[in-house]
Amino acid sequence: MASRPGAFAPEDEQAPSAEEHVVVFRLGQEYYALDIQAVQEIVRIQPTTSIPGAEPWVEGITNLRGRVVPVIDLRRRCGVEAGPHTSDTRVVVVGGSTGMVGLIVDAVTEVMRIPVDQIEAPGAIVSVPQNAYLRGIAKLEDRLVSLMDLDGVLPSHDSADTEDSSVTETIARAA
Amino acid sequence: MAKGQPLTFDLDEDDLKLFTEEADEQLELLDTALVQLEGEPDPELVQQIFRAAHTLKGSSATIGHKRMASLTHAMESVLDAVRQNRLTPESDVVDALLVALDALRVLAAEVNTRVHSGIEPGEIESKLKGILEGNAAGNGVAVKVAPSAPATVPPAAAEALLADIAGGKQAFHVHVSIDATCELPGIRCYQVLQELEAIGSIPWSEPGRDAIESGNGEYTLTIVVAGLIEEGHVRAALEAVSDIGPVTVSHLGVDELAAASPIEAAPVAVARPRLSVVENDAAPVAATPDAKPGKKGSQSVRIDVERLDGLMNLVGELVIDRTRLQQIRDAANPVLKEANLQELMQNFEETTSHLTRITDELQEQIMRSRMLPVRSVLSRLPRLVRDVAAKCGKKVDLVMSGEETELDRSVIEEISDPLVHILRNAIDHGLETPEERRAQGKPETGTVTVTAWNQETYIYLSVKDDGKGIDTSTLRRKAVEKGLISREAAEAASDDAAVQFIFLPGLSTAKTLSDVSGRGVGMDIVRTNIERVNGNVSVRSEPGKGSEFIIQLPLTLATTKALMVMAQQTVYAMPLVSVTEALLEREADVHTVNGNRTLRLRGKLFPLIDLAEALGDGASTAPEGERFVVAARHGTRQVGFLVDRLLGEQDVVVKSLGDLIGNRKGLTGATILGDGSLGLIIDMPSLISEQARFAA
Repeated sequence: MASRPGAFAPEDEQAPSAEEHVVVFRLGQEYYALDIQAVQEIVRIQPTTSIPGAEPWVEGITNLRGRVVPVIDLRRRCGVEAGPHTSDTRVVVVGGSTGMVGLIVDAVTEVMRIPVDQIEAPGAIVSVPQNAYLRGIAKLEDRLVSLMDLDGVLPSHDSADTEDSSVTETIARAA
Repeated sequence: MAKGQPLTFDLDEDDLKLFTEEADEQLELLDTALVQLEGEPDPELVQQIFRAAHTLKGSSATIGHKRMASLTHAMESVLDAVRQNRLTPESDVVDALLVALDALRVLAAEVNTRVHSGIEPGEIESKLKGILEGNAAGNGVAVKVAPSAPATVPPAAAEALLADIAGGKQAFHVHVSIDATCELPGIRCYQVLQELEAIGSIPWSEPGRDAIESGNGEYTLTIVVAGLIEEGHVRAALEAVSDIGPVTVSHLGVDELAAASPIEAAPVAVARPRLSVVENDAAPVAATPDAKPGKKGSQSVRIDVERLDGLMNLVGELVIDRTRLQQIRDAANPVLKEANLQELMQNFEETTSHLTRITDELQEQIMRSRMLPVRSVLSRLPRLVRDVAAKCGKKVDLVMSGEETELDRSVIEEISDPLVHILRNAIDHGLETPEERRAQGKPETGTVTVTAWNQETYIYLSVKDDGKGIDTSTLRRKAVEKGLISREAAEAASDDAAVQFIFLPGLSTAKTLSDVSGRGVGMDIVRTNIERVNGNVSVRSEPGKGSEFIIQLPLTLATTKALMVMAQQTVYAMPLVSVTEALLEREADVHTVNGNRTLRLRGKLFPLIDLAEALGDGASTAPEGERFVVAARHGTRQVGFLVDRLLGEQDVVVKSLGDLIGNRKGLTGATILGDGSLGLIIDMPSLISEQARFAA
């Protein structure tokens, strides 16, 4: 929690630490959220050029108004079964430590404020390696929303191979 | 304070950038100029050097880098003596200054590292002081001719003086040295100022009045005094001050003053020159408060490279949109014609073509603003040549031309190391010793010529020596010994071809460019570095006459000319610098040797590789026979690539794949195509080397 990038700055409007402002999206039947500060824009799915030999969760690269932006299929990255793209499919463009990245999600559902007292550490619910990209789980009235840690989900290139395999293995075992 | 200890300086991030840029600029200037100083003290050059040292002193003092400020001060004192013709810059003087410069470079780097480098300039300073005092001890004997026409009067002051002279007054240029033994030179300077002020007006002095009045006087003082006075008055006034060494007084006439051009006369006493943003093109050293704004000379502004890169990217987008707009226009034309909207169509037509012209112009202008003269690399060479020649016991004349040739700064950064290596080799192994040269009837001093020029979209750099040439029999033997080439091939090779063996990887044992040893050592690394930026290097040699290395580089790394191909539904760009030819698969002479497809082209056999498969994208599924073969070469290695379709040649804007994807095998980046989709740029050298290795 403490190391999370983009934490609310003190000058943020009222009740700086009482709520988290997030973008909620759906992967398969699961709900995830990203800090709204990290999200630069949300666009419809657009053509990508695949990179030969890239990790399976790398969808390819796309031209976002003149910028070459890598696109990750977040469903594959998180071990959620990836169905075909629908009219709800979106690319959430985020600015991580490795530059701009597009994340394919099944739908963006809402932007909301989650009171911090509804957020729990992920350790109790999921196995340890997933902590690499989950920083908390919010229990809302009707569902659970996993708060995603951006730098955890976007490994640097050097560590990509090892991290990827361990994460997917764990997910496979858990499933 | 000792080595390794942390240091703090009085500057923030922005200041740090400014400081570093300015320090680099001044150090580079000193590097070139100090070498030229030896023997021929051209007043303008001396002035330039002095100014650079002075600027460095100012900026290091401002940030509280005391050791750097004190060392520059010591250098400045020596340079001032040279400037005042009190000291002749013999080689020992230049040597001492060069040693000081090397220390200065380390001290300047401390500002970035914030760690004490262990350099204590005290010893160097006392050496410099020794030079000055040694000279002063010789007293009148060592003092050279008095300065005749001092060109140090700033234009503003010169104008005022001309008015004074017109009004019947006399003006004198006075140079005073305070005895080196004097503990507080500032007080003596102040006294001199006081005494002269009593007999006339003082329109200008160096150090300036403010500096003197605040007690910051130095061991030398230059003052211009004007009034209804004679030279005798001036000398008499100065006699009232003690601790004064040699004094020169020269009369300033109308001619001298009028000759003081704004550039030569740029004053050096500026408090915080490093904060100057707008500077005169001709003298990018210090702000010139005395020079009136709007004077002749183009103005320039420092711009962050990142901002230029940003502009370049934006223009890249604009170019793509322009192409799309043209496509839309072409699609819309028949519709508009049908609907009888000729006028609208014509407007559309005109606007599009105007936009096209402006976009092209904009692209070129921005490209040009990223260009730097190659001088910034060449300026390091005289010093290098001097050092290497001294170490090898050779006599060398370095001749440089084409320093004005401009190229993109990204290329400049890449070219420096290979160029230095080639030059070092030329002196170390190309040139003979003076004795050998004399024995052959050659002049004792060898000549190394470094030339830069532009041709089409490439820049060429040539390093040519008049030494013994490259020994091809040794090269042949070594290449065979190391198993790089068969004996038959080595013997069959013409001399011209054998010289190229110098670039064979494995011929040398050196691992980096900084290792110096035998001729040819590290030349494969030189070539690798150059090819990494889509360049080429070739060599010619004539026994007994010398050799010449020619480096060919693209003007910019931002764009590259490429052959566009399609393989497995993906568009790839193959940089033309590596492509030798392209042909239809069915017209190509393809054989299967040991189960590997092999291409026979112009009497040579080399592997034929499926491009998509080599990149890990599965074998081509296009109908056999309708595909194309692209022959490519990297050094001596040749490969044929099988692709589905050829799409033509194009200038492509190179974009990085981003940190997330990183460096993929066989790819250097991506480029945006006319329809807005992305193509992948092939890393030809690495792919060719890899495939050729597989086949071998």
